[in-house]
Amino acid sequence: MGNFGQLMDGFAIALTTHHVMIMVLGVLLGLVVGVLPGLGAPNGVSLLLPLTFTMDPISAIILLTSMYWGALFGGSTTSILFNIPGEPSSVATTFDGHPMAKQGEAVRALTLAFTSAGIGALVGVLVITLLSSWVANFALRFGSPEYFAVYFMAFASFIGMAGGSPFKTLVSIMLGFAVATVGMDTISGEGRLTFGLRELSNGISFLVVVIGLFGIGELLLTIDEGYKFEGVKAKLKLSTIFRTVAEMPRYWVTIVRSALIGCWMGITPGGPTAASFMSYALGRRFSRRGKYFGKGEPEGIVAPETADHSAGSCALLPMLALGVPGSATAAVMMGGLMIWGLNPGPMLFSTRPDFVWGLIASMYMGNLIAVVLVLATVPLFAFILRAPFTVVGPLIAIICVIGAYTVANHMFDIWLALAFGIVGYAFKKLDYPLAPFVLAVVLGDKAEDAFRQSMLSSGGSLSVFFETPLVATMMAIGILLLLLPFISRFAGAVLGKGNAAEAGDGRHA
Amino acid sequence: MNISRNAMEVATALVTALAGAAVCYGAMENGIGWTESGPKPGYFPFAIGCLILIGSTATLGQVAWKSLAAGPAGESGHADSFINGPGLRTLAAFFLPIVAMTAISAWLGLYIGMALYIFYAMYFAAGFRLYSSLLTTVIVVAANFIVFEKLFMVPLLKGPILEYFGIY
Repeated sequence: MGNFGQLMDGFAIALTTHHVMIMVLGVLLGLVVGVLPGLGAPNGVSLLLPLTFTMDPISAIILLTSMYWGALFGGSTTSILFNIPGEPSSVATTFDGHPMAKQGEAVRALTLAFTSAGIGALVGVLVITLLSSWVANFALRFGSPEYFAVYFMAFASFIGMAGGSPFKTLVSIMLGFAVATVGMDTISGEGRLTFGLRELSNGISFLVVVIGLFGIGELLLTIDEGYKFEGVKAKLKLSTIFRTVAEMPRYWVTIVRSALIGCWMGITPGGPTAASFMSYALGRRFSRRGKYFGKGEPEGIVAPETADHSAGSCALLPMLALGVPGSATAAVMMGGLMIWGLNPGPMLFSTRPDFVWGLIASMYMGNLIAVVLVLATVPLFAFILRAPFTVVGPLIAIICVIGAYTVANHMFDIWLALAFGIVGYAFKKLDYPLAPFVLAVVLGDKAEDAFRQSMLSSGGSLSVFFETPLVATMMAIGILLLLLPFISRFAGAVLGKGNAAEAGDGRHA
Repeated sequence: MNISRNAMEVATALVTALAGAAVCYGAMENGIGWTESGPKPGYFPFAIGCLILIGSTATLGQVAWKSLAAGPAGESGHADSFINGPGLRTLAAFFLPIVAMTAISAWLGLYIGMALYIFYAMYFAAGFRLYSSLLTTVIVVAANFIVFEKLFMVPLLKGPILEYFGIY
């Protein structure tokens, strides 16, 4: 039980007054970010990151992760009360959460969501506690070919698992890599892809990219989709809260299933959004009351919320242990770690155990604080959301613009962020996935270094990626994932021919 | 003005293809070949540029394939719309002031740009009364000043006017 002792040391670090205050502040900021549409978790963390450069890394990461928990919880509040998902990952919560709230059971819906979210997050953190040092020990044996294979697997799984067009995912990933290569080359020192622009010689910060893609892009999307609050009034009654919490054990099958889905999707870079949708879909298929889903069914709230939060926490496991983030927000945090001079990955566990275990301990605390705070602030946020978007929108726009400026005190970054905003708007509307874009920007340099170092050691032969059984297996899994869309389409074409013909006839008739 | 989704798909794919070509071109300036000490700096970006080109071309192909397949049905029903005229105007009315704010900020500093933008947004876009708009502007600018200059010690761009008044 070496982990347990280290976790206790971590609690000793996380439970200081200073750090608990930081958690409360982070969760509150996160709630604001999560509640306001157009201001999501990845973007919120990016905006806050430049302000933490002067803090010590442990306080900084606790602030950022607490904000992350707050944002995850806040997103569910608006989903249920206003039918507006504050976060992409809480879209699935609107399906049953809002109908239940409309039936006058808003408090029950909120409590269901927050309790299952808390349980999901707890399961995720438990998985991190149990597995992280094991994964890190395993990863200590990795050389550069293995690392490249891990990155390859991560990106291949985006292409293979993506619901939409695999080519759009490919374009999105590669554009991210292209952005990452801009600026000075780490090995040769040459400037790359700067096209003679002096402003580009320092490279493009992933923070500017995230603020553009997720911040400004999402603002434009919100404006475009029209923004109307049809709020449901929520009066908090303690008795309702307790009764709902007592109701939770009834849904244990759904909770276990959703938590497993969430953990899996969080560790493999599927992310919370995919996890919540998948969990909702599976919940509808397997639940005995599946046909009531969409009409305010409790399990329809429990399923996506549990998965969303267990995926959200598990996304931090590969970031810490392997240096491969499992979600866009985790990617931003990993970029932060690198700025603070910490190198995410297995070595972090031996060089900075105080940091790693302090962070993990803070996750338990942060989630508990978030559950309490989110319930306490429901009336406040319901009030804030009465403000029309013509007022809230410009305020968010200013935060984004200043946020882009504070990354490096360059006006040029604001222009870049605006440009990425248009890209983000168009991409999102055309179903290009944005999370892999951000992941590629953050991981670009590392992936390229791993590739070039492998090539150096092998003298330029690609066979280095198939030399040992470990790396060969990972590469094979990656290639299989890449081919998955084609395999499934082929299988679908063979099996589905009869159905398609029938459907075609039906349309003519 | 109505922009169909198909037109936008094609335009986006063309833009990404162009970006891919630009990346390839930029990479060639660094050398895309091999040396004894491994790949040249442009090797990796060149491969990325090629993959962007391949992905964009495939997306174009998919769009063309889909619109051909849906051709007969598309005549009767309306093609999916990406954005319509009023939508585009709303979007521009929101986005262009932000662009203007950035341009003004580059010249006169962020606080003045921010103040003008907030006043515009409150008075003209949100339809606040003059005094409410002015009050909101003052509050927002003051809040930002305190948060960034005092709390987090992150100085924002001041510009010539504020510097003239001795605010650095």
